[in-house]
Amino acid sequence: MIFQIILVAFALFAVTRTVKQFRAQKVSLHWFLLWNGLWAVVIGVTLWPTSADFVAHLVGIGRGADLALYVTAVALSYSVFRLFVRQEETQREITKLVRKMAIADAEEPK
Amino acid sequence: MKIIAIIPAFNEESRIAAAVRDASSFVDGVVVVDDCSRDNTANAARMAGALVLRHAINRGQGAALQTATEFALRRLGAEIVVHFDADGQMQGSDIPAMVEPIRSGAADVVLGSRFLGKAVDMPASRRIVNRLAQWFTVAISGIRLTDTHCGFRALSRRAAQEMTITLDRMAHASQIQDLVVVKKLRYVERPVTIVYSAETLAKSESSMRAFGIVKDILKDKFFTRV
Ligand SMILES: Nc1nc2c(ncn2[C@@H]2O[C@H](COP(=O)(O)OP(=O)(O)OP(=O)(O)O)[C@@H](O)[C@H]2O)c(=O)[nH]1
Ligand SMILES: [Mg+2]
Repeated sequence: MIFQIILVAFALFAVTRTVKQFRAQKVSLHWFLLWNGLWAVVIGVTLWPTSADFVAHLVGIGRGADLALYVTAVALSYSVFRLFVRQEETQREITKLVRKMAIADAEEPK
Repeated sequence: MKIIAIIPAFNEESRIAAAVRDASSFVDGVVVVDDCSRDNTANAARMAGALVLRHAINRGQGAALQTATEFALRRLGAEIVVHFDADGQMQGSDIPAMVEPIRSGAADVVLGSRFLGKAVDMPASRRIVNRLAQWFTVAISGIRLTDTHCGFRALSRRAAQEMTITLDRMAHASQIQDLVVVKKLRYVERPVTIVYSAETLAKSESSMRAFGIVKDILKDKFFTRV
């Protein structure tokens, strides 16, 4: 019960933020509908957990809650992978920059 | 042929001058990359007659070698590049034999081997780690060497141009072996003498660094854009 309240509260927070952004003309109507629609689904599934079972069955998973967990795990793994790649690239760019500076600042060889 | 020794250095104030002088007598120029040392490494190297480049941020031994290589090739017109250490473990007197196969055109890359030569006072634990590294190298690069991760090397200009080190820290040694195979460079091993002392053993963080090397290699294989 507590968990459901927290999740719904979080979803409502996301919705109010988007409403504010929309009022301030920072996001398009398109985004407003899409993003709030997504959170509406989150609220729906949170309050009626069995409603997601139908989708889970479609992909061969027993419960909607499990499906949500699996999707989250995959999405998180992928984000971590992307982050590693980005981080490695950033490191290499820093090295290139440091190298460039070192060579540019070198004393003239005699 | 114009021979340039390149020396990566990090906090080697007390040892670098001797290493620079030792190498100087056998080469045409010495380039030291001071990798943002906290001590006076740069000055000590300059006083000993080296050309000193400075990394504004510490980027590691591999990064420093690549910096020095680009400088030696582009600005100094190096025809042979020798990788040498700052801590006095290597002997300058080994340099002539190291560059000989390149002079004669027999090889593009000469890899020093302390096991063909002498590893004076090398602790047993390091020998074991090196043996494991040897198997690891056969597995990932398919190259069988008597000594992996020996920092003493000589490269022809062409080899130095073709091999770009992107592994900034200690794993660069594995990457170099990898590149020798990938770029189909002709290589030979030559005996060298590496001397271990209480001082040099104290400064490096023990055999544990092998894990860091493996991590960097795996990261390079998995987490870089193709
Ligand atoms: N540029 C740069 N050079 C480094 C760094 N760490 C070590 N070095 C240099 O790399 C050379 C070899 O470093 P060592 O720590 O002695 O490593 P090693 O000789 O491979 O291993 P040992 O068997 O422990 O002596 C020395 O000239 C060091 O000054 C670093 O972070 N940056
Ligand atoms: Mg050393």
